[in-house]
Amino acid sequence: MKTIRTIYYTFLAGALLTFVSCSKDYLEYDPKGQVSEEDIATAENADGLVTAAYAGIANDEMIGPLTHLWVYGSVRSDDAYKGGGGRGDVPVVDHYEQYNLTRADDDDDWMAPRTWTNFYKAISRANFALSVIKDLSEEEFPQKAIRMAELRFLRGHSHFMLKLLFKKIPYIAEGLSEEEVLEISNDMSNEDLWNTIAEDFLFAFENLPETQENQPGRADKSAAAAYLAKLRLYQAYEQDENHQVVNINASRLEEVITYANAVSGSLEPDFANNFLDGHDNGSESIWAAQFSINDGTEVGRVSFATGLNSPHGTALYGCCGFHLPSQNMVNAFKTDGDGLPLLDNFNASDMADTEDFTSVDPRLDHTIGVPGRPFKYRNKVKEDGDMIYSASWARDPGVYGIFGNMKEQQAPDCSCYVKEGPFVGTSKNVDFIRYADVLLFKAEALIQLNRYNEALPIINQIRERAAASISRPLEAGASDIYNIESYPSFSSKEEALKALKFERRLEFAMEGHRFFDLVRWGEAAEVLNAYLEEEKTKRDFLANAQFTAGRDEYYPIPQREIDFTGGLYKQNPGY
Amino acid sequence: MKRLLFCLLLLAQGYLFAQETQVSGTVTSSEDGLPLPGASILVQGTTKGTVTDFDGNYSLDNVPADATLVFSYVGFVTQEIPLNGQTQVDIALETDSQQLDEVVIVGYTQERKVEMTGAISVVDLAPLEGQSMSSGSTMQALQGRVPGLFVEKSGDPTGASNRILIRGVSTLGDNNPLYVIDGVPTVRPEVFASINPSTIESVQVLKDASASSVYGARAANGVIVISTKNRSRGEGEKFTVNINSNISVLSEKKQRYDMLNARQRGEVLWRASVNDGADPNNAFGEIYDFDWNGDLSNPVLNSVAVQPYVGGNTDVPAGDTDWQKETYETGYVYNNDVSISGGTDKSFMLLNLGYLKNTGILKYTGYERYSAKFNGNIKLFDDKVKVGVNTQFYTSNETLASPDVGSAPTPGLAITLAPTLPVFTSTGEYAGPLGSGYSDRNNPVYMQYINRWDNTKRTTFFGNVFAEINILKNLTFRTSLGIDHNRFHRKDIETTVDNGFITRATNRLTHDTNDYSSLTFTNTLNYNLETGDHKIGVLLGTEAIKTDLNSIRSSAQDFAIETEDYFTLGAASGKRTTDGTVSGSRLWSLFGKVNYAFAGKYLASFTLRRDGSSRFGEDNRYGYFPAATAGWRINRENFLSESKLISDLKIRAGYGKVGNQSIGDVARFGLFEARYGPNQNVYMPDFFNIYYNVGTAYDLNGVNTGNLPSGFVSIQAANSGLKWEETGEVNIGLDFGLLQNKIAGSFDYFVRNTEGILIQPPVASVLGEGKQRFLNGASTRTKGWELSLAYSGTYENGLYFAVSTNFGAFKDEITELPEKVRTAYPGTAENSIVGHSQFSIFGYKTDGLFQSQEEVNAHASQVGARPGGIRFVDLNNDGIINANDRDFLGTTLPDLEYGIRIDLAYKNFDFSVFGSGVTGRIGLDPYIFWNNFVQSRENAGLGVLNAWTPENTNTDIPSLSLVNNDSQTSDYLFRNNSYFKLRNMQLGYSLPKELIEKWAGMTNLRFYVQGENLFWITPDNYIGSDPERTDVNAIPVPTTFSMGVNIGF
Repeated sequence: MKTIRTIYYTFLAGALLTFVSCSKDYLEYDPKGQVSEEDIATAENADGLVTAAYAGIANDEMIGPLTHLWVYGSVRSDDAYKGGGGRGDVPVVDHYEQYNLTRADDDDDWMAPRTWTNFYKAISRANFALSVIKDLSEEEFPQKAIRMAELRFLRGHSHFMLKLLFKKIPYIAEGLSEEEVLEISNDMSNEDLWNTIAEDFLFAFENLPETQENQPGRADKSAAAAYLAKLRLYQAYEQDENHQVVNINASRLEEVITYANAVSGSLEPDFANNFLDGHDNGSESIWAAQFSINDGTEVGRVSFATGLNSPHGTALYGCCGFHLPSQNMVNAFKTDGDGLPLLDNFNASDMADTEDFTSVDPRLDHTIGVPGRPFKYRNKVKEDGDMIYSASWARDPGVYGIFGNMKEQQAPDCSCYVKEGPFVGTSKNVDFIRYADVLLFKAEALIQLNRYNEALPIINQIRERAAASISRPLEAGASDIYNIESYPSFSSKEEALKALKFERRLEFAMEGHRFFDLVRWGEAAEVLNAYLEEEKTKRDFLANAQFTAGRDEYYPIPQREIDFTGGLYKQNPGY
Repeated sequence: MKRLLFCLLLLAQGYLFAQETQVSGTVTSSEDGLPLPGASILVQGTTKGTVTDFDGNYSLDNVPADATLVFSYVGFVTQEIPLNGQTQVDIALETDSQQLDEVVIVGYTQERKVEMTGAISVVDLAPLEGQSMSSGSTMQALQGRVPGLFVEKSGDPTGASNRILIRGVSTLGDNNPLYVIDGVPTVRPEVFASINPSTIESVQVLKDASASSVYGARAANGVIVISTKNRSRGEGEKFTVNINSNISVLSEKKQRYDMLNARQRGEVLWRASVNDGADPNNAFGEIYDFDWNGDLSNPVLNSVAVQPYVGGNTDVPAGDTDWQKETYETGYVYNNDVSISGGTDKSFMLLNLGYLKNTGILKYTGYERYSAKFNGNIKLFDDKVKVGVNTQFYTSNETLASPDVGSAPTPGLAITLAPTLPVFTSTGEYAGPLGSGYSDRNNPVYMQYINRWDNTKRTTFFGNVFAEINILKNLTFRTSLGIDHNRFHRKDIETTVDNGFITRATNRLTHDTNDYSSLTFTNTLNYNLETGDHKIGVLLGTEAIKTDLNSIRSSAQDFAIETEDYFTLGAASGKRTTDGTVSGSRLWSLFGKVNYAFAGKYLASFTLRRDGSSRFGEDNRYGYFPAATAGWRINRENFLSESKLISDLKIRAGYGKVGNQSIGDVARFGLFEARYGPNQNVYMPDFFNIYYNVGTAYDLNGVNTGNLPSGFVSIQAANSGLKWEETGEVNIGLDFGLLQNKIAGSFDYFVRNTEGILIQPPVASVLGEGKQRFLNGASTRTKGWELSLAYSGTYENGLYFAVSTNFGAFKDEITELPEKVRTAYPGTAENSIVGHSQFSIFGYKTDGLFQSQEEVNAHASQVGARPGGIRFVDLNNDGIINANDRDFLGTTLPDLEYGIRIDLAYKNFDFSVFGSGVTGRIGLDPYIFWNNFVQSRENAGLGVLNAWTPENTNTDIPSLSLVNNDSQTSDYLFRNNSYFKLRNMQLGYSLPKELIEKWAGMTNLRFYVQGENLFWITPDNYIGSDPERTDVNAIPVPTTFSMGVNIGF
């Protein structure tokens, strides 16, 4: 009995002691599969951090997009309607389309506020990589200068996009503590903000190589030059506090020409190449978001920014019929007997039925699904004629009409396509800047500088390429209704400017640039209200839409961001 | 430690007298034959005495041969036995009232219910059994039966609950209680649910912090302590066999919503369109043929006909489908279990086997579970050592509601899908939407069908091995090694889909598996001493808990053949991906408890627990959780001892503190991760997050495919100062029994404050990606009371009648919330949620419908205002209805929950009826969305047929519109949804004992029938069906009829 008792005591004491003594180590549990900031900040990881920063600008969210800005730049302009299954389908975009952003709805968090957040996420990736690389020596990290230039380019890109949407934004540089970041307001003057963003592109322009060997996804000197041309063009149209253009700055326009001339690139021989899989990073693609498929990720690093926009009524595609061309947009493709656009009265009659389509710009068949015409240069996928666009492909013809969205689609059997749930993602890159854009930046600057005769050949270069882009639709069986010619001459700056603006609209139709062009030119209210006045007689869902000058040019600063910074940010006027 | 033991030993042996003779024996309870540990034996007229050990044994030296021994035990009648030379006195004490003798296990020790000083509900198990059998979950059967325990059921065949709360909510995050089953803690309610009720000995709900604080960490939301049978009855060798069998029929017909048929929907779409000034043929012409006068200023509908074919496809004739009828079917539950238990005086074993099958009311769903339990113990070394095991094993397989191709769950689709779609095409395929006018949603029957091979398997092993050693008289050492292990395996097969215009060309198989294990090593020393009027119990203990979770996810696509057997990862010809994570945590605790009772009247208890958690940094690792309680059993005072009225009266008060550490295992670190190419859905499941890349890989080389360069991204900011969230609670209670406890009841009042609540608030976007962090940042207060009241009595004619009621009320409010995180909650900067419940609804107030354009014009400007539209109240009187006109409308948690049960027994019949309800809450009545509004792509309820028109103004259904549905959060949508529900009615018949004894010695044979979820009462303006159905995307809780048999040998 005594022995047993001794055993009890020994066991008991032993058990207790063992626990007390080892409890400290016992309670140490380190993260698995994750590392600390200190461990990541090395030369070995530096390139990975740069890659992550690139991924950041393409980490699109369907309801907070970064690359294709159809929600912000196209639906909000005279190019397109929201589409989808009636006005209540993704209502936040309906509010954008109706310029009705002042109501407090439960869906306020979708789209613009998320895009805000996602661009700042991208900025933080670039800034973290910058702060790590800054501290490395050239010996440790020989690509130091180039990578820093790329990161500043990426940071500039995100700030630029934010500025287009929100105008007043906080500019975040690298190496700041959290406290310092939270003290940065959005009150920098418009001019200073442009220049601050331009600093990043200037640094990139000076440090980037002419080309990035075998890595077209990286920014190069041309991309920086193109971005500088774009930025200086926007900057040239000086806005007051109420977003009205008060002055056009000639010296900025000169810079546009300089930087545009520094861009090396060329137009694709066929307009279609820009919108077809297999032509990513071609000669016209100056700066693009890269997407990929069958790349080791579950679905593919594909773009879903336009995932809602497939034709809806055909089983070849499936969902959801968003982003549809306006009647106004369709009409814009009309050409007169001289093969020129009807600059003043294109909208006087509608191209609605087949017989109305008699003389059109060939870019129509690259941009819009028209009943009876081949879709995406194809006649068939499974059986003859199944790719001929039909009114039954439209999801809600009574509300949004019968025309279809083609530019951002690929053929349904494309290996670049992945269907995840109801939506289609694609590995086709999204171009931020095409060479055509650079050419027209330059033409616009020349015209504003009254050198419109120098702009004429540039605009005609764009039109000639369009004229040469008819073989694909014709081979798919499209009837030849094309009639497009170059402008013989411009009689005045005004006429040239009108032609330039119209050319931009046709060339970039539904690519998400139109609204920002209108705001840049200071004519958003004028053009859009005139458009609505006419369009609402054709589409009753627009009956109450009205653009308010001095407010609707920009989105409101997201309320939650104002709250999170204790009211630091100034709201845009009108909200 | 050793010094304390030494002192206690001295105390125990300080009363030794001169020797005469030795007396020994065993004290048991006459009712159940169980030994009574801690019963006191006193030599009359002296201070000499002792108490029984753990097994009811005692031994007294040096007793005069003619002495009289006084045996007493609280809750039992005291007996005096003259020795008359006997040296062996075994005695069975009679209970002195029916309900006061319960011994319950709370906080590592046994306590008698009458001496408990915390707020603890001991659950009456008998009435649960039938209900547990029909759902397969004891947890669901607890609904409405325990004051202060709130259970929200789900209709899933698994019998899982949506929400389990004890005394409401006290934190902003996880509010799930802790379960302690046979001394092993777990946070998984499904372990409890899987235990067959016939093997449960007792269930206690520890509600206040003074009762639960000995469990320290993780006890902040209350503790449910479950003990399963593992005690010898002390009757020599005896074995019993029990068989329970139940079959139930399940139906959701009463829970359905009334929806429009095909033609009615056409009329309603016409009306809504012309109200909006649009020709209905534009939007719905492919579905309906509207014959109307075409005059928008004076529209008249002559007739409406459904177009004969869906999308013009002659293979798809239009239908008139009642989708709820098509999607659901009658469900059956088969539940059987058999137990063998018994043993000898030295050993005990229990073996239980159970099988449950629920065929599911939603087509192609179901649940199947095998469970097994083995408990056993054996006494060694002259009964000084007891070793044993408690084990619970189950394996289950479930197939639940599936999402459609666009992730919309089928229960919702069964309500909303257009009736003009048929279930099948004329060629026998499942039909789907075609042409314009239909939503991008799938046929729910088809979706359930193609997901019929999906399943989730769970295999759990739970239990412990333990040893109890009587080191000295009254001093017991117990050691227990417990395990909670679960293997989870979800298989998801996505077949190709060709359903109208919705297709999926690629098929895919995903396996999602994880291994969870939690090891608990507990060591306690328990010392009990009763001397004279003093009774002391001391507990010291240590506990170490090691939890690990390891998950692997793999998927592959492109399977040539679509059969269940072919879908294996190896058979895929397309791409494959794998992913996995590892995490874990450690807890290390020391605890102690002292119970003291004087003369069975004055009770006090003190506990202290120190928990260390690996989730906190070195400086904040340990939390200290003390508690103190006191009680006074007034009925033991002389002035009440003769009372005929009051048979039991106790007041109690306590204060305790408990901790909470429910944050990520590595929440305190700043972390970077290599996120190759996941979407956000992996981290935060949400429909649109599937389409949100958050990876670091990027196709820099522009090759579109292959392995991509990749990098690292910040995923979490550091907070090394993270510390325990603490809840302090004051509880005051009263227990009483009147008229020999024919009437018994209990009342508790509590105030609970939680501070330093662990939250992960959103941060300003400019801080960038992965900059959120956990912090201790908010406080809440919950106040409430609970009351239970019961009467029971047997009448002269043999009728037994009992009624028991329970009431629980609580109110929670957020008392402190950092300003910058307030936007994450309902409310505005000016009118914040502070001072309101976290479940508050913030929205507009409404004031009927506009009756005319004049009323619209006279009203504050309101977007979309129109005659027949909902009028919002201009709360701030600024002439414009906007976000500033919102206010707090109420909360979705009830002010009061109550339950009532009536039991009747007469001769061999027994009958019980049980109902419970809630009051003082508002809730979204989801039917309003369909019954009161029209959506262009979804079906509507019957209410829209009575919508406002200039001719029909006496209605609260707004004028129909497809674009002006006022669906902002408002009191029009969130209505009072108090209810009372008749939950269970049961009638049983037991065959006479004399008869069944002849049948192989049968001791019990009872048949019963029961009904559940039978009917409910709701307020007038509540229009939905089952008020507990607040989410149309979940399977409704069915109405159940069952019959069963209990057999005992």
